[in-house]
Amino acid sequence: MEKVGIVGYYQLKPELDIMMSPYEAIFTAVRGALDSAGLKRKDITTVVTCTNDYYDGKTISNCFKVEAGGAYMKDETKVELDGAHAAAYGLYRILSGNHKLAMIYGFSTPSCYFYEPVRILELDPTFDRTMSVINPYTTGGMQMRAYMKAFGVNEEDIAKVAVQNYKNCSKNSLALPEAKKPDISVQDVLDSEILSSPLRRLMYPIPCDGATAMILAPERQSLKITDNPVWITGMGQCQETYYLGDRDLSISVSMEKAAEKAYKRAGINDPKSEIDVAEIFGHTSCEELILAEAAHLSEKGKGAILLDSGPALNPSGGAMSAFTPCASGLTRLVEAAKQLRGEADGYQISGAKKAIASGQVGFCAQNNIVFVLEGGG
Amino acid sequence: MPLPAYIKKDYKRTRTLHGNWYLMNYKYKFNLSRTKVFLKGLKEGHILGLKCRSCNTVSFPPRLICGRCLVMPDQWVRLPETGTIATGSASYDTNDKNRERPLPVIAVRQDGADTVWLHNMPKDIDFHSIYIGMPVKAVWAKERTGSWFDIDHYDAIEDPAIELNKKEQEK
Repeated sequence: MEKVGIVGYYQLKPELDIMMSPYEAIFTAVRGALDSAGLKRKDITTVVTCTNDYYDGKTISNCFKVEAGGAYMKDETKVELDGAHAAAYGLYRILSGNHKLAMIYGFSTPSCYFYEPVRILELDPTFDRTMSVINPYTTGGMQMRAYMKAFGVNEEDIAKVAVQNYKNCSKNSLALPEAKKPDISVQDVLDSEILSSPLRRLMYPIPCDGATAMILAPERQSLKITDNPVWITGMGQCQETYYLGDRDLSISVSMEKAAEKAYKRAGINDPKSEIDVAEIFGHTSCEELILAEAAHLSEKGKGAILLDSGPALNPSGGAMSAFTPCASGLTRLVEAAKQLRGEADGYQISGAKKAIASGQVGFCAQNNIVFVLEGGG
Repeated sequence: MPLPAYIKKDYKRTRTLHGNWYLMNYKYKFNLSRTKVFLKGLKEGHILGLKCRSCNTVSFPPRLICGRCLVMPDQWVRLPETGTIATGSASYDTNDKNRERPLPVIAVRQDGADTVWLHNMPKDIDFHSIYIGMPVKAVWAKERTGSWFDIDHYDAIEDPAIELNKKEQEK
């Protein structure tokens, strides 16, 4: 695959109830990304938006955000999945050779609506939705129990992942203030409220308001714009069946296939030793382990060893740090790029050269997308 | 055989959640602090436009972001009460039986501004009499509260161009 560079990015500081109109939030992110790369609005050739009609309270949610997203009189399109899918869309547009600079942003404000009830509208309306017991909590619980049973993992191991994420959040200046818990213990996680047995409240991220923007450019342009671009060398995407009953929830086949495609394109043979940083977007702490194992970062059922050795798993705090629907996957990409650029202040992994970032959408990570990033100008 | 570690006493506890998304419950966010100057101006009887320092476009009603330059305009400029009709149409309200005539809907370009906004004219005006380029003047509401409705409607004013055109034709 031809290399595509990440030349600029900006993440708005997430808040539970942001004191900004959608217009301003997107403007701040997009302007910040342009300023970080030293570019002007006229340099943008295409804009890929990631917003959702339900999350925005209006249909054709991108039409209202044209000016704020820098898309006025430009080629613009919308992805209604995760921010990482928007990045993939931008990548295709760059690789087509028609575009020289792609602005990608993801945005939503869960403070304006109830996130979990809206997620239920993803479900099959005739069968699953009427049962009213299938929701993000119960699917997370089912997935966690399936994983624990299949590999003999106990709750403590999964609580440890949440603890590490909360501790990492406290080092990340752009993490949600409510998620910064440097003194949390495994027992605190296990004592928190049960969302859906065995899933606990502290194993589930808090939806928060935010916006993230990123700029992609082809190889030649990237080198003109910055001395220190981050290269996207591989990308893979895979879609699994919708029906939860048709899948083995203890593993993620779609993530495995997506990661294999991405590694093949990037020429990575041994991900365990070659990858330094993994920014995995998991809806729950358990899903994070399942996805990390599916990405071949550790053996099946032994994902918990990633907390101590091997590739650094979510040094930014992962989805716990900023769980903004439509922007989480894009934030993971930005965090991975920060590590490779050496800009992760306070949580830098020294000598990070290759990283992966993942995004997902759907119940129990139905659709997964993996990016392989490489540093070095 | 002892129970495995993952089976706890709270096994049966689960959570039902009904899917809902009502447009009525959706909270739309709007940062009022950015339009405070504009609304305060309306209350005091001033019409204010927002000027982009980069491209000098004056927007009325104020646009919070200039799409051309991708900057937040921050220069408020005073605009006169007069404007011209950029385009217009008529709205027929089939539910309102008392209304005999259609209500004109007009797009007004406030003098000194580059953008237009939609407004209405008094109900007694014949919509056949409106034309593009017709000068109009803002009529204030009886009680100004500092809201968008402080400008009640636009009323027609004398058009000097008509007299000039007549003189031209007589020549």
